[in-house]
Amino acid sequence: MINIVRGLTYFVVFVLIQVLFLNNIHFLRLTTPFLYIYFIIKLPVGYSSMRVTFLSFLLGLVMDTLSNTSGMHAAACTLIGFVRPYIIELFMREDLPENLYPSYKSFGYGNFIRFTLVLVVLHHLALFLIESLTLFDPLFLALRIPGGIVLTMLFICMVESFNRESRRNED
Amino acid sequence: MRRLLDFLIGKRHWLLFLFLEVVSFMFIYHNNAYQQSVLLSTANAVTANIVSLSGSVTSYLNLREKNRALIERNGQLEMDLLRLQRQVESMTADTVSFRGFISNPMREFPYEVITAKVINNSVTYLSNYITIDRGSSDGVLPDMGVVSEAGVVGIVSTVSKHYSVVIPLLNPKFRLSCKVLGSSYFGSMSWDGRSTRYAKLEELPRHVEFKEGDTIVTSGFSAIFPEGIMVGNVSSFERQRDDNFYSLTVRLTTDFHRLSSVMVIKNYRQNEQIQIEEEARSND
Repeated sequence: MINIVRGLTYFVVFVLIQVLFLNNIHFLRLTTPFLYIYFIIKLPVGYSSMRVTFLSFLLGLVMDTLSNTSGMHAAACTLIGFVRPYIIELFMREDLPENLYPSYKSFGYGNFIRFTLVLVVLHHLALFLIESLTLFDPLFLALRIPGGIVLTMLFICMVESFNRESRRNED
Repeated sequence: MRRLLDFLIGKRHWLLFLFLEVVSFMFIYHNNAYQQSVLLSTANAVTANIVSLSGSVTSYLNLREKNRALIERNGQLEMDLLRLQRQVESMTADTVSFRGFISNPMREFPYEVITAKVINNSVTYLSNYITIDRGSSDGVLPDMGVVSEAGVVGIVSTVSKHYSVVIPLLNPKFRLSCKVLGSSYFGSMSWDGRSTRYAKLEELPRHVEFKEGDTIVTSGFSAIFPEGIMVGNVSSFERQRDDNFYSLTVRLTTDFHRLSSVMVIKNYRQNEQIQIEEEARSND
């Protein structure tokens, strides 16, 4: 029950932040930070692959509806939702408690950032490659993908450092 | 059989993944068709209300700028009015020399304007969209042209009762027939996905005379926009590969970053024109 309320809060808060504020950012007329995937990153470790994939798809679909992007975000989110459990396995060998969610404290700084980076890179690659189905511009794409990854990572790391839930977990 | 079932159940998250990806790509391809579904876009009343939250805040932020632009535009229109009035006066005073000019009262101006507020606007994607707060109940229909006080904005794509989604110039799906002001040769304008301030005008015949800074306006052939609506200024140009056409980089006069109010252009005769054009094509 607590997990559902927590998940719903994350979902609504980060979708609203994304749609109302971050979608208006166009850094150097090049990239936009996609902070909303923070929801997928912060899902509990114990969730089954099916559940994470489905929730990620829902998140993507809501983002698509609110930014008129028609399936782009849904496809990219489904991908990272699906690979998330495998990446957690890759970085965190030992068994983790069911209700644990990824944070600096639970994963360690290095592992959390690496885990986040893999998801962000996959998400941006998928998103921008799908976007270039309408118009392919390799040079511009080569600038946009790394730029977007850096900006999104910056935002996620920043929000994570200020996330009180993650800090309360430390005690 | 049993082992096959076990295998499928064991790999069911793979199946779900594939299924959801297929669904996503169906949306992607379905929406590349011209009409977007109202349900999965911001033309939907629920989503429009959410995105309009930020629109209603930001619409107050650039009122000063807006006001200045309106005053400027007002002054310009007043000048035009005076000029036209004088022209009419001189014509009515000297009817003998203007036998050739008979104004035809039956041939009225077939356009009407519906003002609308921008409630959501994206400039960051390759395919951008604008949501406005007027829909079918205000007389907006798909395929109507949208302009701002600075110039062309886009074409209405999806319409719900109170909202509509516009495909702006900043979208590769949008093509606009344009010409250099003063000439009658036209080319096709589209966006290359890079800067939001510039678009490309291609297929302009090589013998058209123009220089940098010249004004680009709509050609009026599409039945969507009337002729002569401002689009931008020539910023640079080069010859296309086959040397018979120019490719122009046009600096757009509409600043899509700070778009807050637009006008939808309604053409009473649009259907008639499209119908007769289609008839001519099918007769070929």
